[in-house]
Formats: sequence, C-alpha cells, structure tokens
Amino acid sequence: MASNKLRASQQQQEDDTQVDMSPMIDMVFLLLIFFIVNATLIIVEMDKRVKVPIARYSEKQNDKMGRIVVNVYSDEFAGEGRFRMADGKEVFADDDDLVDFIKKEKENWDLKGQKSRLHLRADGKVHFTYVRRVIRAAAAAGVNEVIFVSLWSRSS
Amino acid sequence: MARHRRATALEEDKPELSISPLIDICFLLLIYFLVTTTIKQKERDNSMALPSAAPSETQPDIQPFFIKVSNDGHIYANVGAAEELLDTEAQGSERVLPVLDQRLEIYAAAAKAGNNKPLVQVYVEGEAEQQVVSDVLNHLAKHDISTVTFTDLVAQDEQLK
Repeated sequence: MASNKLRASQQQQEDDTQVDMSPMIDMVFLLLIFFIVNATLIIVEMDKRVKVPIARYSEKQNDKMGRIVVNVYSDEFAGEGRFRMADGKEVFADDDDLVDFIKKEKENWDLKGQKSRLHLRADGKVHFTYVRRVIRAAAAAGVNEVIFVSLWSRSS
Repeated sequence: MARHRRATALEEDKPELSISPLIDICFLLLIYFLVTTTIKQKERDNSMALPSAAPSETQPDIQPFFIKVSNDGHIYANVGAAEELLDTEAQGSERVLPVLDQRLEIYAAAAKAGNNKPLVQVYVEGEAEQQVVSDVLNHLAKHDISTVTFTDLVAQDEQLK
C-alpha cells in the first residue's frame, strides 16, 4: 500500500508543467549577437584631463557625424602639447599642422556626404587666445561651424 | 514489476542541467556592476555658426550686438565711448549673467519683430578664461542666437606654446 502511495505522488510530480528556458536563452543570445554585429558604433572620445565649461542651455549631442575633435588643454596639462587630437595623445606641432589635420578630416567627411563641424573641447580654465587659434585654423580649413563642448553641471 | 522499477530508476538518473547557479552568478555580477559603476555625465553641444569663416556678400539689415569680454572676466556691451559694463562675474551654479541676459532678450525680441536674424559680435581679450566665453555663448544659446562673429582684434603672430 505504501509503495502505491509513493508511486502516485511521483506521478503527480512528473505531471507538473515545466517551462523550458533553453529556446528563450538561445533567442536572446541570437538577437544580442545580431545587434552587436549590426550596430555602427560612433564614439566621440573624451579625454578627461580636459574639464569643459558649464553651460545650462547647451544641447544634447544628437548627431555624432561630421565632428572634427580638437582638445585644448589648460596650463596644468599643456606641457606635452596645448592642442591635441581626440585621443589626447597626438599633439599638433604648429598652427599649420592643425589646419592640415582639419582639412584632411573635412575631406573625409565630405566623401561620406557629411557636413564637417569643429568639435572644440577646450578646458574651462584655458585662455581664449588658444581657443581663438583653433577657430582660426578651422576657418582656414573651411569649417565654419564650431561646437563648443560643455557640461550641463559640474556636480552630477 | 521489477523491470518497470528499473526503467523509472534509469529515467531518474538522467543528468539535468540546473540553471539556478547561472542565475545566481548573473545576479551577483549585475549587483557588482551596479555598485561599482560611476555614471559619467555626457558632454553637450553649444553649436555656433561663425560667419567670419564664410562671409556673406549681402549686408545684414540689423545692427549687430557687440559684446566684449575682458581679461578679468568682465562683460561689456559696445565699444569705445559707448562701452558699458554689464556683468562682473557669473552668478550661482547656473552661471547667470543677469544684465547681459536682459539685454540679449531685448535685442533678440527686436530682431524677431523685424524679421531679422540676430547677429552678435564677440571680442574676447586673450587672457579671458574659456569658461567666461562659454557663459556668454550659453546666454546666446538661451535666446536662440546662433550666428556669432569673434572679432580678431589680436595679433596674428601668436605661436603655439
């Protein structure tokens, strides 16, 4: 009698409905890989040594195409080079070097059918004379739209 | 009976993959990354068209508003005898320049009323900090003024330092 009762309870357990998770996990991974492969990742590099100024009425960065990034460092980090590329490593030797770089970048964006814009990351403490030189170089290279990069607030 | 019992025992011995440790580890990693992540503030744009780089052939119908930023960070309107001190420094965490804000509001409204595009000329002395210039540009953005000319009144032979 006892074995009958045991068998009945086993039968009941086996009859319980179970959700098979494996197809769901398969699909999730499949979709994940699909989106990773398809995504075109456009990142505007940010060198954290440049502490950009605060501007409350600045706009969210929507379109990241056509940006020509130039970093302008404050006196604290200017020893290795005042003007550098997006990665913060490549230093511009002189104003002509800066103009050549902007011209080349502009040509690259033109080939892609994108309007070039100067993405100017100048430190809040830097003297404007250096900023003006970058703007002048951009003008010489034929780029007349300048994006002054800023933060919404310093605290958050 | 004995044969049937052996068959059920075989079925019960089948190896099963338990997903609970996987879920445990996933949650552990999730909590670890949540705790250790520092949210980096995204940078924003203050976009300005500089007509000096692409000069227009036609004369603008509206008199441009002239702003001067001095080396000590003071903001002036106009030049020469008409020069007038507007603000000495930005106020609060929002960096407000109240008098400039007021003047720009009047100027932008007048330009709009006359169906003109507001034009602003900014002259910044060489040693003024970028933050102060950004404060001025921020107020221009507030009043939808996106056409700015930086007047080049400084020497052209500055060298890279």
